[in-house]
This record gives sequence, structure tokens and C-alpha cells, in this order.
Amino acid sequence: MYHEDGDAPGKTIKSVETAIHLLQAIHDREEAGISELAEEFDLSKSTIHHYLKTLELYGCLEKVDGRYRLGLRFLTFGGQARARETIYRLAKRDVDQLARQTGEEVRLIVERGGYGITLYQATGEHVERSRTHVGNMEELHCTAAGKAFLAALPESRVDDLLDDRELTAYTSNTITDRDELEAELADIRAHHVAFDDEERHEGVRCVAAAITNRSGELLGAISVSGSTERLTGDRFRTTIPDQIRNIVGVVEINTTYSGWEDDTLDRSP
Amino acid sequence: MTRDRPRLTLGIVGLGTHGVNHAQILRSLGHDVVGVDADPNVRSEFESQFETTTYERPSELFETDIDAVIISTPNKFHETVATKAFEADLDVLLEKPLAHTVESAERIVEAAERTDRICMVGFHHRFRSTCMVLKEYIDEGYLGEISHIQAKFIRRRGVPGRGTWYTSNEIAGGGALMDVGGHLLDLLLHFYDWPSLSDVIARSRSEFGPREDYAYLHMWGEDGEARMYDVEDSVNAFLEFENGATADIEVAWAANARSTHTYNVRGTKAGVALDITNTLTEVEPRVDQRNDLELYEVRSGGGDHFVNSSIVCSHNDPYRDELQSFLDAVVSGDRPEQNNVHQALDVQHVVNDIYRAASE
Repeated sequence: MYHEDGDAPGKTIKSVETAIHLLQAIHDREEAGISELAEEFDLSKSTIHHYLKTLELYGCLEKVDGRYRLGLRFLTFGGQARARETIYRLAKRDVDQLARQTGEEVRLIVERGGYGITLYQATGEHVERSRTHVGNMEELHCTAAGKAFLAALPESRVDDLLDDRELTAYTSNTITDRDELEAELADIRAHHVAFDDEERHEGVRCVAAAITNRSGELLGAISVSGSTERLTGDRFRTTIPDQIRNIVGVVEINTTYSGWEDDTLDRSP
Repeated sequence: MTRDRPRLTLGIVGLGTHGVNHAQILRSLGHDVVGVDADPNVRSEFESQFETTTYERPSELFETDIDAVIISTPNKFHETVATKAFEADLDVLLEKPLAHTVESAERIVEAAERTDRICMVGFHHRFRSTCMVLKEYIDEGYLGEISHIQAKFIRRRGVPGRGTWYTSNEIAGGGALMDVGGHLLDLLLHFYDWPSLSDVIARSRSEFGPREDYAYLHMWGEDGEARMYDVEDSVNAFLEFENGATADIEVAWAANARSTHTYNVRGTKAGVALDITNTLTEVEPRVDQRNDLELYEVRSGGGDHFVNSSIVCSHNDPYRDELQSFLDAVVSGDRPEQNNVHQALDVQHVVNDIYRAASE
């Protein structure tokens, strides 16, 4: 799991941790001023100022009208982090194709540290504006891709991720009971497809399926999401699930043979 | 092993049902096999079954001392493997169809020509003794001018590898027409001596394979249930060729009908019914199947009368004879007349034209 509080195991450098927490706080707020951060972090304004100045100097923050926001240096880092993910190279084209087929918002998501992270997204003709951006992080229990991950991971890993963890309720449909979640995971394993029926956001439904390799290792998931007005009935329960399973199957086969196309390409994990 | 037939080492790329089948025949002919598959489980099974070496990638195989290559991967990967084999100076027998698309098929032909390698494609029905006899009757003019062929390859329930690459349009390039239809069109064009297609009317359907309650007796390959299924499971088409001849074809992986694999060849002097239907509940490959060839003529000596005559010939294993013909070509370096890559490209074009007509 990603480490989120200051109580890290082993030796860490306090000021680096503070810098990371500051960046996270600015990310969560989209932008922030010195005073509000000083208050939240219980540090002096001048200390916060020195941190932010340093981060700005190295392109990690940008200052606009006296407030700080994340700098484009993170896009440079993020671009490389994404390019190194084999599944991104192998599945990007298929995500585009599925967006054209369904007309909806299609995402390629990977599981990292107990979160689903959007690696790539494409939008079809029905989508005017994307709700989220690349790199978006979501908890697992409340999204279709997250549940598809949980259904594909070994039981011990699922226990690590979910034991002693509260299942946050985002809507009245969010599954907050572990037993109920386990029953749904069994269903997902049987049908190779997961649903999110307004469990994360009101008015949004989502369908997803996990991508695994020949040894059953989890590589990622592909999800299709759209408004409750468009994702209804058979389209939500049958048509889009069939389209996702076809695309996921193609990605899995292409992954299996990826080492044949280009011998310099590392085999996917 | 005679002196004319040296012991060869064949590399088999793609160790599914076809790959294992080829390996068994090669072993029985006294040759050695080595294998390649991307799946480690499949590799270890092959290693223990044939007590031989396997590799993860084709490029590793091509660095070893082998005489020729047999490719039985999913259709989409024929091109990358065949091209690398040609470039390593190796002759290739490709499982049918040639490729998953016309464009990929054309690139394979281009690579085979550029490297001057032999490339045969596994349309094995042509090696069936009854088919060879029929072809000879046609060529010597016994049937007169052939104006129409009615051809059917219908399986009652015979979707191969349902939910695997076989039923993925992206990987296989199509469904029943690409799979069993390839055999049917190859024989049809072979009997007609490769005329050009001028017109097609076609319809395709997907009625059984994607259903969760799909029931069957036997399946070729593994059953992946309906996880992936975006191909057709039956096609009807009417073809017209530039020489005026026509054909009425039907192919099905699944239909509520009697299993059938027949060719009714209508000539001006005589007609022929060829019936090579498999054991009715089975899917391929089976050699102990129907091999019926019947001639229909009308004569007048001593009064007008009909003549129905059965042609009886010894049964052979067409897979084995196809392989032997490939091995002979590898040893001699002489390009075989049978199943050459240009004919396979013609089949691929007709398959593509039928799909296009069906989508109109």
C-alpha cells in the first residue's frame, strides 16, 4: 500500500516526506496558498514558503496569482513512468478502438498500492468532457476496475489490501460490507466482468474487466464508464460487457505474443 | 528411413492442437521436432510428450540448426513468424489460413518471394485421395465444362476454441468462413482451376457461439466459454466467376442441421457428388471419415438411361501426405504445385470479398 502518513518504517528523510505531503495537499486542492498550508501542516509560514520556493525553483510547482499549483515537471516524470508500463504500449490502441465502438469514456487502469491508477483514457462521441485525468487514483472497492482487480488478485493479497480497512461509502450504492464485497468478487470471477452501478459517483455507471497474463498475473483492467442515462438495460449488462471481454481477450493474446513481434521488448510482468 | 528421405529436424511454432498433431506425424515419419510457444505450460507439455527442446521465441529457434518450419500460431501471428523464418533462409508450412487479413497475407507472399523460400499452406483436404481423383476427372474433361458447384461445410455444433483466439475477429480475422470456409474455398477454387471472382452475394450470422447455453459434444481446442466472441458462425454466399461459372456455398461452425462436408460439381457431361463429411458428431481432424465420390451421367446406348457410379479408392491420411509433400519440397528445393502461397492468397481474397459482401 502507498505510504500516506509520516510514520514510515525504517529510516526516512523528514524534509522529503514533508515536501511530498505538501505536493499531495496541493494536488488534492488543485491549488493552494501559503497560509492555508501553514495552518494544515502546523508549520510557520516562512518554513512553508521555503519548501514551496524550492519546489517552484525545480519546476515541481508553479505560482499563479500568489497561489501554487503542480508544475509540468510532473508530466515529464509521469510521461516516462507511463511509457515504461508494458501494458500501456500493448493496450493503448485497443482502448482507442473500444472508445470508438462504445462512444463512451474508456480507461486503461493499473493497480498500484491498493489503488487503481488511470494509465490512459480515450473518449468516444457521447462524451463531451472527460470527468477525470490520466493518473487519477481511485479506491478499489467502489469502482468496476477496482473490483475486477480484487477478483483477479490472490486471496492473501486481497486480505492485505482490505483487512482493517474501512470501505468508504461514496454513494448509497457503495458496497461497505466485506462479505457483500466477497460475494460480488465471486460473481466477477465467474463472469469475467465487473460493474459499478453508481457506487463511486451518483449518475455514473461503469463496466470493467481485468487483463491477466497466461500465468494469471494481473496486468491491468479496461473500463467503460458513462452516465446512467446512456448505460442502461442490455447495453449496460450485456453489450458493453461483451465488447470489453473481446478487447481484453485481444490485449491478453497480444501480450502473450508481444515478445515475438520485437525481440528487444521486455516480456510484460 | 530410406536414403532418399533424410532425417530432418523441423521447428514447430505454436504448440496447440495443430502443432502437436504435426509433431506426432513427423515423429512417425522418423523426423525430429523442436518447438516454440509463448506459453510456458504448453512448452513443458510438449517437451515431456516429445522429449525435445522448446523455445519461448521464434528467433531463438531460428538460430538453431533446423531444416524447415511449421507455423501453427493464431492467425494474426503468422506474418511475424513466417517473415522471420524466410529471412533465416527457412522453408515454411503455414497452417491455414495464410493470415488474418488480406494485407498481412500479401506481406507474407512478398516476403516469401523476396527471400525465394518455399511457402506451403495447410489446406490438407486437397491431399485426400478422393479429392485428388476428382481433380483428375475434372482436368481430363470427363465432366465436360463445369458451370456450377454447390459446396457445404456445416458442423452441427463445432465452434473451435470458443472464447479463445479462434473466435476473436482481431486475432483470427473472422469466424466460420475464415476457418472451415478456407478449406471449402480452397477446394472449390482448386476444382475450378483458380478463376477470378466477379460477383458475390453473401450473408453471415452469429447465432450459437456467443450464447451462454451453447451445448456441444466435442470441441477442437479449449473451451474458453463465451469470453471472446465477435465473429460469425455461419455464412451463405453465391459466387460468380469471370468465366461465367457459379458456386453456392454454405459454411457453419454451428447450425441446427445435419453435419455436412460436400461438393456437388455440375459438369455438362457428368456431375459428381463428393462427400467428405466427418464422423457426424466430431470436429476435425479425422481420417476415418466418409470419402464418398459418386458420378452422375446420362447415356443413350440401348435406350436413354441414368448412370450412377461410385468411385472407390484407398483412404489416406491427408495431413500426413501434405506434410510429406512439404518435406519432399524442402529436400529437393523444388516448389510444389500443390498448396502454393499464391493460391492461399487467392483464397484469402475470396474470403475477404465474401465478408465485404456480407456487411453490405
